[in-house]
Amino acid sequence: MRTKSKQKVWKKKKTIGDRISSGFIGIILTIIVIITIYPFWHVLMYSLSDSKASMGGGIFLYPRDFSILSYQLLFQTEQIFVAFGNTLFKTIFGTALSVILTALTAYPLSLPRFKGRGFFSMMIFFTMLFSGGMIPTYLLVKELGLIDNYLVYILPGAMSAYDMFILRNFFQSLPPSLEESAFLDGANAFQIFYKIILPLSKPVLAAVTMFYGIGNWNSYMDGVLYVNKSDMQLLQVYLRQLITAAGGKGALGDLSNLGSAAALTEDTMKMTVIAVSVIPVLIVYPFLQKYYTKGVLVGSVKG
Amino acid sequence: MKNVAITGKKNWYNKLLLEMKKNYLLYLMILPGILYIIIFRYIPMYGLTIAFKDYKITSSISNAPWIGFANFIDLFKRNAFQRAFCNNIIISFSKLIFGFPAPIILALLINEVKRSKLKKLVQTAVILPNFISWIVIYGLMTAIFSPNTGIMASLASLIGYRGEVVNLLTNKDTFREVITISYIWQAAGIGTIVYLAAISGIDTEQYEAAALDGAGRWRQMWHITLANLKPTIITLLIFRVGGIMNAGFDQIFAISNDIVISKADIISTYVYRLGLEQRKFGIATAAGFLESMIGLVLVLITNQIARVIDRDSAIM
Repeated sequence: MRTKSKQKVWKKKKTIGDRISSGFIGIILTIIVIITIYPFWHVLMYSLSDSKASMGGGIFLYPRDFSILSYQLLFQTEQIFVAFGNTLFKTIFGTALSVILTALTAYPLSLPRFKGRGFFSMMIFFTMLFSGGMIPTYLLVKELGLIDNYLVYILPGAMSAYDMFILRNFFQSLPPSLEESAFLDGANAFQIFYKIILPLSKPVLAAVTMFYGIGNWNSYMDGVLYVNKSDMQLLQVYLRQLITAAGGKGALGDLSNLGSAAALTEDTMKMTVIAVSVIPVLIVYPFLQKYYTKGVLVGSVKG
Repeated sequence: MKNVAITGKKNWYNKLLLEMKKNYLLYLMILPGILYIIIFRYIPMYGLTIAFKDYKITSSISNAPWIGFANFIDLFKRNAFQRAFCNNIIISFSKLIFGFPAPIILALLINEVKRSKLKKLVQTAVILPNFISWIVIYGLMTAIFSPNTGIMASLASLIGYRGEVVNLLTNKDTFREVITISYIWQAAGIGTIVYLAAISGIDTEQYEAAALDGAGRWRQMWHITLANLKPTIITLLIFRVGGIMNAGFDQIFAISNDIVISKADIISTYVYRLGLEQRKFGIATAAGFLESMIGLVLVLITNQIARVIDRDSAIM
């Protein structure tokens, strides 16, 4: 009886202060959400507006005089497809190679019976603390003949030590009895890895795949440092060129001879270019976010 | 005595051979990864020797003559390097001071929200910037700061401001603030997720006990939530302090320009320009070497400090 009344008093007290602070917190978080989301929305809506209507700027909650002219124009340039293709190549093959390489390295390092485990782990861990840096890496890539070679998009960044340790930690967390019993059944190390360990690790593999995938899609420096040919240009490099060039339209070059180009402003063109590179990410984001979060969490547990 | 040592050595060698034979598949699996690490991570470390050499792109690294610290002396004399070094420290520190608490505060606020829909929305929103490249963020920033049609200019005119709107992307007096704020915008979300996970692991009994003792919401936040986050905070702080030399190459490379370079140039962007644009490989590598070395020393020191404060939060 006494505790009940005590709880009641406490509850009542909570409601008074609570309302104000809850409202306060709610407002702050709403502002944060707007600050995060609105720039994306703005760019999308701006790019879908008619240039004349959007000229004055302002806040865009919806397109003004809906128009997809800028998209039509952008997709008439060849380079956007070339750049898209190169980035797609890097994302698919680079990510595939990275995940395979990382998992193959992580598995032996997760086994207590693997001799040399400490040495190899240390060797890889050290690369997280110290690195040769940009110039020596550039010289190596040059020496290996990878400049202007498609392999440069998948080899130099093929394995991230961080992701390798995420996977190793996860493999280590699986019950050792699984491996032992399969071993007694006569399965060899590779069969155990492929048939037992990998299927059990799907969520973490998904997360690591995503880290690599997002990294590859967004990668930019590889394209700046190691590539000079325009037919090997990455999407982000092309994008930066369009955004910084005297004007998006200027960099699109051959567009000026298309009659309709005159109806477009530079700003609309820029917004369209940004939108085109963001849209794929926005589409996959809701599906991937769950795995991403998971991966970050597995990674933050040390081992 | 001698004999024993020799047989001991032989035994060790034989044991290793036997072990490798028995587990050859495991060694085969790890081989590509180790080769990768040696080629793409350790060979560049050897390449750092050109910081002490008179290296020309036409000769090989091993043939280049040693010149001691000449590259470093040349480097220190360059005003641009001194500027880059200072910028590096200023930018890193402001990112640390303002950027490090941001995800903690955000996580504490999100944790106070009881409606799960709003909670989910905020979480989803704040990680989004982590998924896009700095180039795209730069594009978004031009949309925000453009003096004629940008979001800032529009907001200013909405509240009745009629003066000139400065384009913050080309204003060197405020560019460091732009760097720090855009960094927080991009990076705070991911840290928030880590802290929220740590918060969800806190035993709810602690809150109940505190509530019975009359602790209100803010005191619970301070004495229970924050107190329980301490190890996570220390671990992440070590990483951040250890990485203080890394002032954010990708970001600054993407968003800076010639007008703001005196405030935004950091060591790594300087290395890029000196090495790859001006082809002064030796001096540029000296700068990179310095950056890596200081970074390594800082990680080791902060790790030692963490060990003393709280053994479990050290990373090594």
